[in-house]
Amino acid sequence: MEKKKVGIFSFSGCSGEQLMILDCEAQLLDIFSDLEIKTFPMAQSNNRYSELDIALLEGSITTQHQKEELQEIRKASKVLIAMGTCACFGGVQSMLLGKGGWKDRFMKVYENNEGLYREMAAFESQPCSAFVKVDHLIPGCPMDKDQFLHTLSHVLHNTKPHLYPFPVCTECKWKENDCLLNRGLPCLGPLTRGGCGAICPSHNLPCVGCWGPAETPNTTSEFKLLLEKGYSREEIIRKFRNFGGAVIADRLRKILDKIK
Amino acid sequence: MRVLRMNKRHLPEFLEASKQFGELWGPVKKGEVYVYEHIQDISEMSLQPQRTLLPLKKLIYPPKIKMFQYEGEKYQDTQEEVPRRVVYGVPSCDIHGLLIMDEIFLRQYRDPYYAIRRERTAILGASFCTCYPKSCLCQSMGTDFIKEGFDLYFTDLGNYYLVWVGSSLGDDLIRLKPEIFNDNISRKDLSEFVTRKSSYTQEPCNIIDMAIIPDLVELSSEHPVWEEMGEKCLECGACTMVCPTCNCYNVFDEPYLNTETGKRERYWDSCTFNGYSVVAGGHNFRESRAERLRLWYWHKLNSFGPQERPACVGCGRCVDTCPVDINVLTVSKRLLGDKTKQALSTKAKKP
Repeated sequence: MEKKKVGIFSFSGCSGEQLMILDCEAQLLDIFSDLEIKTFPMAQSNNRYSELDIALLEGSITTQHQKEELQEIRKASKVLIAMGTCACFGGVQSMLLGKGGWKDRFMKVYENNEGLYREMAAFESQPCSAFVKVDHLIPGCPMDKDQFLHTLSHVLHNTKPHLYPFPVCTECKWKENDCLLNRGLPCLGPLTRGGCGAICPSHNLPCVGCWGPAETPNTTSEFKLLLEKGYSREEIIRKFRNFGGAVIADRLRKILDKIK
Repeated sequence: MRVLRMNKRHLPEFLEASKQFGELWGPVKKGEVYVYEHIQDISEMSLQPQRTLLPLKKLIYPPKIKMFQYEGEKYQDTQEEVPRRVVYGVPSCDIHGLLIMDEIFLRQYRDPYYAIRRERTAILGASFCTCYPKSCLCQSMGTDFIKEGFDLYFTDLGNYYLVWVGSSLGDDLIRLKPEIFNDNISRKDLSEFVTRKSSYTQEPCNIIDMAIIPDLVELSSEHPVWEEMGEKCLECGACTMVCPTCNCYNVFDEPYLNTETGKRERYWDSCTFNGYSVVAGGHNFRESRAERLRLWYWHKLNSFGPQERPACVGCGRCVDTCPVDINVLTVSKRLLGDKTKQALSTKAKKP
C-alpha cells in the first residue's frame, strides 16, 4: 500500500497535541513507518509539503498569516483534522471572544507596540473551522492518545471515526463517581464532550470543560441549576466561556435573556 | 428450594472459602457511595447488603468491553479472558433487574458476551432491603423479595442467616464449608423470618400505585410532564447508566493504523442522547429531549421486553443520581397528581 502523506501543523497553542503524538510511544515506530510524515515541527527539521493526504492541525488561528497558511493547507490536503480544543473550538484564548476590548488587551500585553500589531495583523483567536472546512475534530486539552489513534486509523482506512458522542458525565458514571453537581459543585460535565475518562471528577474536581462544548447539551438547564446552587450569573458565564470558545459564546447569546 | 441456617460469625470464613470458585467481589465504601470491588481482604467490604452506585450489571454487562480482535480474515474471540466471580451482598432489587436483563440477552437472541459473564458469576444475594428509604420504591415494584436469579441468598435474622440455595452452583459453594451450615430449620426460625418480613414491610419506602401508573403512562403521551422534564434534562445519561435494566449499547471498530489488525468494542449507549435515534440518512426519530424521556419512562413504568412489564425495579438510583430531579418518583407523582385530582373531582360530581 502506498504510504499516505501526512502534515502536522501548529498554530496558536501550547503544542500539547504534537507532544501527545510523540507520547504514543508504543505506536510511534508504526506511525512513522506507516506514514510519510512531511511536516512535524516538534519532531523533525526540513518541514516541507506540497500535496497531502491528511493534515493534522493544532492551535487556534490568531493572525492573518496563520489564516492564509491554514487556507493553503486546506487546498493542499484531502482530509483536514483539527486536534485539541484550541484548533477545534478556539481554546482558552477565545474565552472573551466577541466581548469587545480585544485590541486593548493586545496593547496591554505587548506594551502598546503599534508596529507589532500591524505587522502581525493579529485578531481575536478563532477555531480552524472559522476559516476552512474541517473534516474531523479530536477535542481535548490535550487530546487523548487513543482518540487520536482511533481517528487517524479510521481516516487511513477511509472509514468514519467514532468518538464518544456523549458528555463527560457518562464516563463519570462508568467510573462510579458520586455526582459533583449533587454536592453543589460547579461541574461542567453535562456541557462538555466526553472522552477524557472523567479524570477531574474522578478526583473530586469539577469539570472545567477543557474538552470543549458537547454537541447538544442543555446549556439553559445547567445555567439555571448553577444559579439555584448559589453561583452568580457572572461566575457561571465565566466558567462556561473558559474553554467554550465561539460555540458557547453563541449559545449564551441565544439564551441569556430568557434566564432570570 | 433448599434452606439452611448459618451463624452470622461464619460469614467471613465462608466468603474466604468462596474464593476457590473465583474472584470475590463485594460492596466497598467509596466516598459517600458503595461500589462493587474485587475483594482481597474481607475486612474491606461491607457485610450488609448495599445499594452500589452501579448495579450488578457492571460485572455481567460492563460499561465497555472488547468483543473480539481480528487480523486480516482471522478472528479471535476474547471472551475466554472473562474471570469467574463470586459477588456478595447483592440486594433483591438488583437481582430482579438481572432477571429482566436475562429476558433481553438470554432468550430469543442469546448474547454471548452477556451469557459468559452471567454463567461465570455466582450471585450471593442478601436481605433485607437496606436501600435508602428516601429514594427506594421496591415495595411498589414488588422487588423487595426475590425467589430466583441467585445462587445463594442470605436472609438476615439477627445473629444468624437463613440461606436459600438457588442453584446447583449455590449448592457447590455450600459444600466448600459444609460444617458451618445446618439444614435443621426449626419452626421458630421460620416464624422469625415471617415476623421480620412483615415488620420490615411496614418500614417507610416510597409508595407509588403501580396498579394505576402503567395505564396512566400509556394514556399520557400528550401530558405536559414530558415537555417540562425535557426542558430540564441535562442529557448526561446518568439515569440510564445507573439503571439496573438499561441495556442499550453501541458498537464500534478500532482498526490499527494502516494495518489489517484491529478490534471491535461496545459500550453503554443511552436513549436520552440526541444521537441515539438518528438513522442512516440523518433522520432523528426522537429529536426532542421530551420525546426521548417519554420513551424511557414508557419502558420503566409501562412495558418493556418480551414480558411487556414495567422495567423499573424500584432501586431508587435515578432518584439519587439525577441532578435536576427527573426520576421515576417525580414523574409518577406528577402523572398521579393530575389524574387523581381529576378522578376525585369526577367522582364528586356524580350524584
